[in-house]
Amino acid sequence: MADASATEKLLVIPCSGIGKVHGLISREAAYHVADKLLPGQADTVCLALLVAGDDATQKKVQQSSCVTVDGCPKLCAYKNVERSGGKIAKGIRVYDAMKRHRGASFGTATALSEDGWTVVEELAAEIQRK
Amino acid sequence: MAEAIAKVGIISCSGEEIPEGTIARQAVRRVLEGLRPQQSVTICLPLFLEGEEGERRFARQHPTITVDGCSKLCAKQGTEKYSGRVSASLVVSDILGERAKSCHRSIRCADQADEEAVWLVAERVAVEVDALAALQPQAESGQTPAAAACGACGGPPPNGKLIVGGKSVTIDGLPLIFAHLKNKGLQPGSGSANTLLQTVKIYHALEPDQEAGYQDALVAAYQTYCGHTLQPRIQG
Repeated sequence: MADASATEKLLVIPCSGIGKVHGLISREAAYHVADKLLPGQADTVCLALLVAGDDATQKKVQQSSCVTVDGCPKLCAYKNVERSGGKIAKGIRVYDAMKRHRGASFGTATALSEDGWTVVEELAAEIQRK
Repeated sequence: MAEAIAKVGIISCSGEEIPEGTIARQAVRRVLEGLRPQQSVTICLPLFLEGEEGERRFARQHPTITVDGCSKLCAKQGTEKYSGRVSASLVVSDILGERAKSCHRSIRCADQADEEAVWLVAERVAVEVDALAALQPQAESGQTPAAAACGACGGPPPNGKLIVGGKSVTIDGLPLIFAHLKNKGLQPGSGSANTLLQTVKIYHALEPDQEAGYQDALVAAYQTYCGHTLQPRIQG
């Protein structure tokens, strides 16, 4: 029988790319939704665990509505949720949000600037509206 | 003849579900940026696991340290499954023990406990980098490993600096990117421009209006890199 708690939650799955600021923004957007905007109604899963084929994680994405947040054109989060049979309600690209702040400095792969946090909040709001 | 010295590869788990995943990520970044910037390089774990042969050659070309948040060991097991045996495996939950309970997933909530945890893990990673670097071939000139790598290949400096529009910019892992593309058979010259740019963009955010300048600088640097590495070396 499907886990009822899993069916109710929105799963936000970021790519968490470690090489540049986009990955950190994706990760923090997921946390902002799970911890601030939709606490108890949204959560995240480890992308690497999903990619590694973990059964419990695959079931979670198959039974939940998923939003993927990718930092680069490789779309690791989107492709792997799709491949795992996940229900993708929306696939978001960080770069699209950053384009609205042309010329801004968003921080680094380690720490975000004020503009970086602004993008996090915009993405989180977009995820909430999915 | 001085030999090129491979950087130590560090692969962090993504670990979004738990604070230990964020600690792993932040600790690896601290090593890359501050503690051992000349000796280390990284790759995204999901990209690596998802990747083509080029990405999966990573651990065969670099002595590799994996940093996992928990005992599921996604980074270690994924690396060994697809690439090669890792040189060292660290697990954040083992290093931190009870300390991890007071850490946070989001860096926005990070406090003193998180900061101390990141330092503890980063210093452990740095120790492993030093141990692996000590096993690498040493250059004859007595240069530091990083400087020797630059002098040996004639390519871009080890910190990946390019001059774009008269300004110095840093691209993490640029020598690795060049080596990877050269191994894949990319020939220098104008035909390499798009491949170079698209590969660098995976790791380095660029605005559209910056791309032309970066592309020109990359083509020139790659030309230099290949020119030097293709030249026969005269020993003695």
